[in-house]
Amino acid sequence: MIRRLDPDLAVIVIAAPLLWFIPAGFKSYGLYVVSLWLVMAIAAMGLNLTLGYAGLKSLAQAAFVGIGAYATAILTKNHGVAWPVAFLVSGALSFGVGVVLGFPALRVKFHYLAFVTLAFAMFVFLVARNEEWLTGGVYGFSNIPRPVIFGLDLSRALPFYRFVLVVTVVLSLAMWWLLRSPWGRAFQALRENWMRAASLGVDIRTYTLLAFAIGSAWGGFAGALYAPLVEFIDPAPFAISASFVMLLTVVVGGSGFFLGPFVGAFLSFVLPELLRVTGGWDPLVFDPGVPGPLGFSPTGILGLVERARELVAQRRAAAMRAAARPMLEGSEAR
Amino acid sequence: MKITFAAALFATVAFVVPVAAEDTVKLIDVIELSGAGATAGTNWKNGVDLAVAEINAKGGILGKKIDIAHYDTQTNPGNTRAAVQRAIDEGTYVVLGPVFSGPIGASMQIAQKAGVPQFVGGEAASLTKQGNPYLFRSSLNQADAMPKLANWFRDDLKAKSVAIIWVNNDFGKGGRDAMIPELQKRGIAVAADIATESGQADFAADAIKVKGSNADAVFVYLNEEESARFLRAAKQQGIDKPLVGETTLLGAKVIELAGEAANGVKGHVGLSVDAPIPGFKTFSDAFQAKYNYKSDHNGIKGYTSVWAIKTATEKNGSFDREALMKTMHGLRISPKDVPGILIETKWNDVGDVDRESFLAEVKDGRQVITKVLPMINP
Repeated sequence: MIRRLDPDLAVIVIAAPLLWFIPAGFKSYGLYVVSLWLVMAIAAMGLNLTLGYAGLKSLAQAAFVGIGAYATAILTKNHGVAWPVAFLVSGALSFGVGVVLGFPALRVKFHYLAFVTLAFAMFVFLVARNEEWLTGGVYGFSNIPRPVIFGLDLSRALPFYRFVLVVTVVLSLAMWWLLRSPWGRAFQALRENWMRAASLGVDIRTYTLLAFAIGSAWGGFAGALYAPLVEFIDPAPFAISASFVMLLTVVVGGSGFFLGPFVGAFLSFVLPELLRVTGGWDPLVFDPGVPGPLGFSPTGILGLVERARELVAQRRAAAMRAAARPMLEGSEAR
Repeated sequence: MKITFAAALFATVAFVVPVAAEDTVKLIDVIELSGAGATAGTNWKNGVDLAVAEINAKGGILGKKIDIAHYDTQTNPGNTRAAVQRAIDEGTYVVLGPVFSGPIGASMQIAQKAGVPQFVGGEAASLTKQGNPYLFRSSLNQADAMPKLANWFRDDLKAKSVAIIWVNNDFGKGGRDAMIPELQKRGIAVAADIATESGQADFAADAIKVKGSNADAVFVYLNEEESARFLRAAKQQGIDKPLVGETTLLGAKVIELAGEAANGVKGHVGLSVDAPIPGFKTFSDAFQAKYNYKSDHNGIKGYTSVWAIKTATEKNGSFDREALMKTMHGLRISPKDVPGILIETKWNDVGDVDRESFLAEVKDGRQVITKVLPMINP
């Protein structure tokens, strides 16, 4: 029997070429916004692993994006390091910091863990702002170069967007593979019932640290793309409020759904730009429109879609049962 | 899948924007209408709208009406960058705004690369140090204002020590970094150096630190709302030393928010509707009539920027952006020729402005000008 193509993988395979060609007609602004969407989706994907799959509440994802963005800016601008190297260093650095931050996660759970990560996010912001010799302080870094890869100059908007798309697809496939691997199962076991997972031989300590570190690494990768995308960084976009937006992004999209981060990042980062047409009334649309539905669907937009699908499936099953009943009754009578 | 496709379709429709009609000139104002800069940004926006209405009523620029649009930056550098990019894609003749220095720093390269002049309301010294020929200020560079103020600390207040309280963003830090060497050059000690947060709500602890420093005078360099909160805290803590500021601290919005606590505040102001310059009075009356409140210096910045663009463009006789950039460097506009410029203004070769400025004091909830200071290079 031929195995059915996994729907998440199918979406990646179909969406990638569409996203390659559709924005070709966009102007720089449109390309910038779509690029930002993908970059933030990568960061949200990392948080989705930590929060949605492993169930660890983290309020520091924007800080990891900041670590990656600053590492990339410092390496490529001040030291002339090639971007791919800076990209890997950013991810590795975030991974390492994620392991260290993961240790308290072994001791504290639920919202106490959120407090620990909140303190960490504040710490990163303060370092970025006050250590002027390293990070440029409140003045930030300007004129961050866009990379040249294999002789391809990515300084223009469309080539850079397509480059971001390629990196996004690669990281999505890696995440997809990870989630279906035994590691991904272990992460979910951790979320559902850590005690039972432990009794089945899952090493709680290792997997908790890994969930944190891999999620953080994805944040670092996103930061490595964010710095050359915006070409300017200062501490503001990595402040605590930005980590809350990342959390909203994952939860609204549907935490624990593979495609949730893409839907969430669209609502958090693209929708406000589209709502500019409302001429300043956008908070009136955004505030009740985006976090509002969580009131009746705590599993986010994709949770809503899944519930609808289940409802349809149940109705269909009920109809089949109803259709089968006369036959069953007939057979009983006999 | 469906979601992705619908999103792509929606995005395509939204991002492929129509080109402006030929009989108008498009001006896009990228400005803080929400977030920490909302007070400053709203004043700027209203000033711009007032100038546009007046200019359009008189036939526009070179016979073309101005088509103005305002994009909110939420005082966020990333959003500002997107908005400036959008303004350029939509073919704006000039980018107006923003006011806060951080967002300006994040977006000025975009306009420079596209060859689009940008008129900003920022005062941070770093902005015009970067060699961007397309950037023009609408108010004094903080580095030019500080020596004037330091002289005043020494000569009029006879201060031997000064406590500095500043907001830790690039506006506040830039002002502090410009002020401290000026004080030290004049033999004035820095008794306390207190950093505060943007958007900070409670200034009681900072006011106690200021009081404890026992300085002869206090230099307050905060954004609008924070200035008002600090003034209230200073009054509660009974600080009786002179509170001295630069433009913002004596602004109309700060006086309104701080109420009683603003009385007695002194300082240097670059622009003020209360200054004894006839143009400011005319502007202030028109602003009050249209918006039913009193403009602060940001309203004047926005208003005069539009008039400067009109004047330089008509001098060139065309809507050529590069020509506008070149004409602006070294341009001097007098209110005798262009009443809308309000006060004699000169732009130098890096885009800094030079004007007369004022020493002022708040008395009975009103800003009173006590002295007119000359231009730096008249």
